[in-house]
Amino acid sequence: MSDACSVPRMGHDDMSDIMVELRGVDKWYGDFHVLKNINLAIDRGQVVVVCGPSGSGKSTLCRTINRLESIDQGSIVIDGRVLPSEGRALRELRANVGMVFQSFNLFSHLTVIENITLAPRKLRGVAKEQARQHALALLDSVGIASQADKYPAQLSGGQQQRAAIARALAMRPEVILFDEPTSALDPEMVGEVLEVMTKLAEEGMTMLVVTHEMGFARKVADRVLFMDEGEIVEDRSPSDFFNQPETDRARAFLSRIL
Amino acid sequence: MKHTHLFDSPGPRGLRLIRMATAVWVAVLLLIVAYVVWRLDARGQLAPGKWLPFVTNVKLLKFLGEGLLQTLSASSVALVFSLLLGIVLAVGRALGHRLLSLAIAAYVQVFRGIPVLLNMLFLFLGVPLVLRLNISAYSVVVIALVLYNSAVIAEIVRAGIAALPSGQRSASLALGFSEFQTLKYILVPQAVRLMIPALVSQFIIIIKDSALGFIVGFHELTAKAQNAALQLSNPLQTYIVIGIVYVAINLLVAHISNWIANRKTNTAG
Repeated sequence: MSDACSVPRMGHDDMSDIMVELRGVDKWYGDFHVLKNINLAIDRGQVVVVCGPSGSGKSTLCRTINRLESIDQGSIVIDGRVLPSEGRALRELRANVGMVFQSFNLFSHLTVIENITLAPRKLRGVAKEQARQHALALLDSVGIASQADKYPAQLSGGQQQRAAIARALAMRPEVILFDEPTSALDPEMVGEVLEVMTKLAEEGMTMLVVTHEMGFARKVADRVLFMDEGEIVEDRSPSDFFNQPETDRARAFLSRIL
Repeated sequence: MKHTHLFDSPGPRGLRLIRMATAVWVAVLLLIVAYVVWRLDARGQLAPGKWLPFVTNVKLLKFLGEGLLQTLSASSVALVFSLLLGIVLAVGRALGHRLLSLAIAAYVQVFRGIPVLLNMLFLFLGVPLVLRLNISAYSVVVIALVLYNSAVIAEIVRAGIAALPSGQRSASLALGFSEFQTLKYILVPQAVRLMIPALVSQFIIIIKDSALGFIVGFHELTAKAQNAALQLSNPLQTYIVIGIVYVAINLLVAHISNWIANRKTNTAG
């Protein structure tokens, strides 16, 4: 297979270097068992796509990794450190884990450039001009340098999501979580966001991507996780997953969306 | 602002109905005004001698002007401190510590529930007794207004924070901001902007409530007018004139804040 697995990567040479690890993670919403005994290790530089039917727990899984959602059992280890449950340690860890949301969530009272420079300036004490230069470089790399001084409401959905990716990158994170980054976009804008994500993956960024974009999964992912009813049902290379899914549940899911 | 109405645009029958209702309403209004003017004239209340002092009597205008300044000064100071205290209270409550929230909720319930007039009397009578302190009428009025309005503004800002999309908070926390920083940089600035119309209404209430200061001997516009009316023996005319002044001030306040709000929302797309 000449698929995604063989895509050469830069920035990592030691494949046993684990960036994110979940061990025996369980979570309930009341009686609803939303995450069931999740065990998962993501190597540095890996791109892992999570797919599955709605309500399968994939977004919740994504949000537990920077503790936007707490877990009831098990442990999460990021870059060798156990995810702290509160305080300064948790905030420092979150600053190291970027997140991109389905609904962009740009700060609506700030311009694009202010959205990007706020966290580096306030949390890392980066000087204003330096933060601005970095932000402009990031905006350039996601292709919206000309939108720097506009407010989020003046941008298209695709531009907003690219600005949100630049905002996450501004903190120089070691891993980025994407929670359905293209689900709220008009179809013609999905491509421009996936392009930026593909570029990031090629640069060696560690990424966990919850998405239904199977083309992206095929082309870019190192692994595809298929979730259903709170469980990881399959954890395979994209070519294996798409060509010969092991479980009926995955087969049924793929036949619905492809 | 193309579509300002909440309902379907009216059809021909609806338009006829609206025109008829408008005509009836205007007619009734004109009749009432005409009747009032006619009755006032019959009782000699429209005599030029009763109204001219408000144009010609410089001493009177200066006297009332001093009251107006006191009104504006006390209201503005009260607004600034109410806003600051209100935001602090709203932030305190949004931080989610149970005991702090409870204490703030109690403050809000108590001071939102007490009439401002009673607050003034409590301060006027209580402070000298309890603290053995002389307190000026000006301070009594400002503090009483701040106690009440900070409680109301705390609730306004809290509602504003609650109305923001939850993603704003998630995005801020995900970047590594603390709850307090999230409130400071992200949520409160947006909530205050969202709540500008409600805050303007509250400023207008402050301006009007400052008139209650006459009860503790605060010489603001209404108290001055009362004095002037006694000397000129034209109380009705005096109160009409200062009533117009209050409306004019509040229109001005509303206009200025609309202008500010529009500028803000224009730049924010």
